[in-house]
Amino acid sequence: MRRILAAALLVLGCASCAKHDEKLQLALNWKPEPEFGGIFEAERLGAFAKHGLAVERTGGPGAPVVQMVTAKQVPFGIASADEVVLARDRGSDVVAVFATYQTNPQGLMTHAARKLDTLEALLHSPGTLAVEPGLPYVKFLEQRYGFGALNVVPYSYSIAPFLTDPTLTQQVFVTAEPIAARRAHADPQVFLVAESGYDPYTAVVIVHGDMLRNDGARVASFVAALREGWRSYLDDPGPANAVMAPLNPEMDADAFRLAAEAQKPLIDVPGGALGEMTAERWAELAGQLQRLGLVKDVQPAASYFANPR
Amino acid sequence: MQLSGNEAIALEGVHRTFRSEAGGEVPALAGIDLAVARGDFVALLGPSGSGKSTLLRLVAGLDQPQRGVVRRDGSRLAMVFQDAHLLPWRDVLANVSLPLELLGRDAATRRPLAEAAVARVGLADAARRYPAELSGGMRMRASLARALVTEPRLLLLDEPFAALDELTRMSLDDELRRLWREAGLTVLFVTHSIAEAAYLAERVVVLSRRPARIVLDHRVALPAERSAALRAEPAFAREVGVLQDALRAGAAA
Amino acid sequence: MTGDLWRRAAPPLVTFVLGVALAELLIRALDVSPLILPRPSAVWSAATSEAGPLLAALAATARSVLAGLLLSSSVGVAAAVALAASPWMKRAFYPYAIFFQIVPIVAIAPLLVIWFGYGPRAVVAAAAVVSVFPVIANTLAGLLSVDPNLADLFRLHGASRTATLWKLRLPWALPYLLTGLRIAAGLAVIGAIVGEFVGGGGLGVVVLGAMRQQRTDLVFAAIGYASLLGLALFAAVGLASRLALRHWHASEGGER
Repeated sequence: MRRILAAALLVLGCASCAKHDEKLQLALNWKPEPEFGGIFEAERLGAFAKHGLAVERTGGPGAPVVQMVTAKQVPFGIASADEVVLARDRGSDVVAVFATYQTNPQGLMTHAARKLDTLEALLHSPGTLAVEPGLPYVKFLEQRYGFGALNVVPYSYSIAPFLTDPTLTQQVFVTAEPIAARRAHADPQVFLVAESGYDPYTAVVIVHGDMLRNDGARVASFVAALREGWRSYLDDPGPANAVMAPLNPEMDADAFRLAAEAQKPLIDVPGGALGEMTAERWAELAGQLQRLGLVKDVQPAASYFANPR
Repeated sequence: MQLSGNEAIALEGVHRTFRSEAGGEVPALAGIDLAVARGDFVALLGPSGSGKSTLLRLVAGLDQPQRGVVRRDGSRLAMVFQDAHLLPWRDVLANVSLPLELLGRDAATRRPLAEAAVARVGLADAARRYPAELSGGMRMRASLARALVTEPRLLLLDEPFAALDELTRMSLDDELRRLWREAGLTVLFVTHSIAEAAYLAERVVVLSRRPARIVLDHRVALPAERSAALRAEPAFAREVGVLQDALRAGAAA
Repeated sequence: MTGDLWRRAAPPLVTFVLGVALAELLIRALDVSPLILPRPSAVWSAATSEAGPLLAALAATARSVLAGLLLSSSVGVAAAVALAASPWMKRAFYPYAIFFQIVPIVAIAPLLVIWFGYGPRAVVAAAAVVSVFPVIANTLAGLLSVDPNLADLFRLHGASRTATLWKLRLPWALPYLLTGLRIAAGLAVIGAIVGEFVGGGGLGVVVLGAMRQQRTDLVFAAIGYASLLGLALFAAVGLASRLALRHWHASEGGER
């Protein structure tokens, strides 16, 4: 519902649409959390400035980032790969240039006491499944395994229903809700969606196709700066976490630390360039979304992404 | 009930005062003594705002005096107001049946009584119509029928014809007197029209302006049979003159 | 009668068609991205190609709206009767009725789901919560405006409080109640959809899913169906109003 309100405001015209001189805006799609750690670290290190860029963060939970980049209201945004494929299918010219998560950190969390070994077993057991309506991976799981007698209900970004209902399964970002649940003395069991074969790049940086074509050097500088930030954050998330903590009062220092630890294996590319993507993965994702009936056409893989240098 | 033999209503030393919005006191009635004999037709005449309606409501039992006593002989009473005040969602017949309904009479009993009352006021053809479809005069007749349906012995009327045109008013005046004689009612009729008081009543009580006292209690010297022609006679003008003087005196005092 | 209906319906229909045509032209001319604002033709296409699921969702939302309205109108009338009983009652409890008007349903919908569980019960509760206040406020105004002479008449004939309530005060308040219902109907649709955002089912879930999948055309189509529901309810209350109150006012052919 927040997305609708935000989109409505967008349509009515936003007051801050005017370009801020040389300031480049980066629209986030959530609150400051370790998933954006590299961004805050790049800022802290002055990496953007070093590459000749003045970057300003904007956005937040529910921000219609894809719309904002499509309308060229902001030059940079954070989205997920499946959003990119869907948006391009609807005629939007957004392109991914940096992938934070090489492995999708989305998952389903249930209670360990139910002793369910596999995702398939989980989806075939009776109970409630709380997920955002319309999530592509939910459709993927349903098509792949079938939902049995599950009662599918909307997820409202609170783990309270999970804590009070022993047969409830909910969507999670592995860096967030499972940690919160454990600290609330629940015993969660998490299944990564990626294990089922649906594994889109996540927290990707997107730009408008025109910007890539007309101002590619600046995009490359941005990506380079971000890469430096992420490398530094993976080595030591402490300082950037300290910057983010006051901006996100719902998480304390410990939560930040645990989340940064949990996400490291999903981000790191040992011996490789952080954030780079392959055509094979994009082709696979587009094919999966087409088979789910969510997109009409599969575009050439190269149109979805770039690895600017 | 300490009424003397043939009294229908008796008021002794009745005072009624209202509290105004500003917090002050507005005395409406200042010591009224009045007795009404059974079968009489009494008009209460007075200037506007003189407390005539208040007095009527005290008689009806809708209000209580601050001082003094109001007595009635216990016979059934009915009241007619300045506006017909019919229920807009009921047709004439259902409106007229209302008092019987409130008394708990069943439908089989109510129907013939209501139809008879409707016929008595000359509205038989309009029995199924709704108040919004009726003229002012017809609505007032319906209100009269409603008042008569319980066969009351005492009828209280508060300027019932004031909002009607002259001709309708005169014809309803005649009807009212006819009903009075046919049913042997006791009638207490409030008006600020001198001509109407003289034409209708056997006895006229003139009130002063606030705080109201009785200025004149006058037996009307006109024949029992009243007709439209009477209004042109000198006797009528004489009665009107008497009442007019009393009214003026009461208004000035 | 049909001539009259046409005369009433034609002007808004014409403006609607013209507005839609203008929107289509502008969106095409300005090349607005379908992610921002879809063309009316795209919305129509989504509304018809997905008519099956949309109608099923509409039916679910409609059921919740009707149940919610039933609840809010009965509770609302009862509350109004209680508030009208004495000035003390009104002063003591009316401010709490106002609470239902100002509380943002978006904030309490999650609470309703916690109390009533996922599914239609929470949605019905949400629809009822947002629609109860107009019923209370309007019915109360009607009850307090009863002609005092009629009240006197009832008293004079020794009517009990119950008889006065059912034969005088409630019928008197009916036009006010129907006005309140007209407002309540539209609010109930909003309440139900917000309830569905959290509790699941109906058009609310369709809207969320469509947003998530960048299907702005489908979002507008769903909103279109929801508007039809609102319109239908509005018309139904209007019809009920005309039928119930048809004798209250002089008809065009009535005699005088």
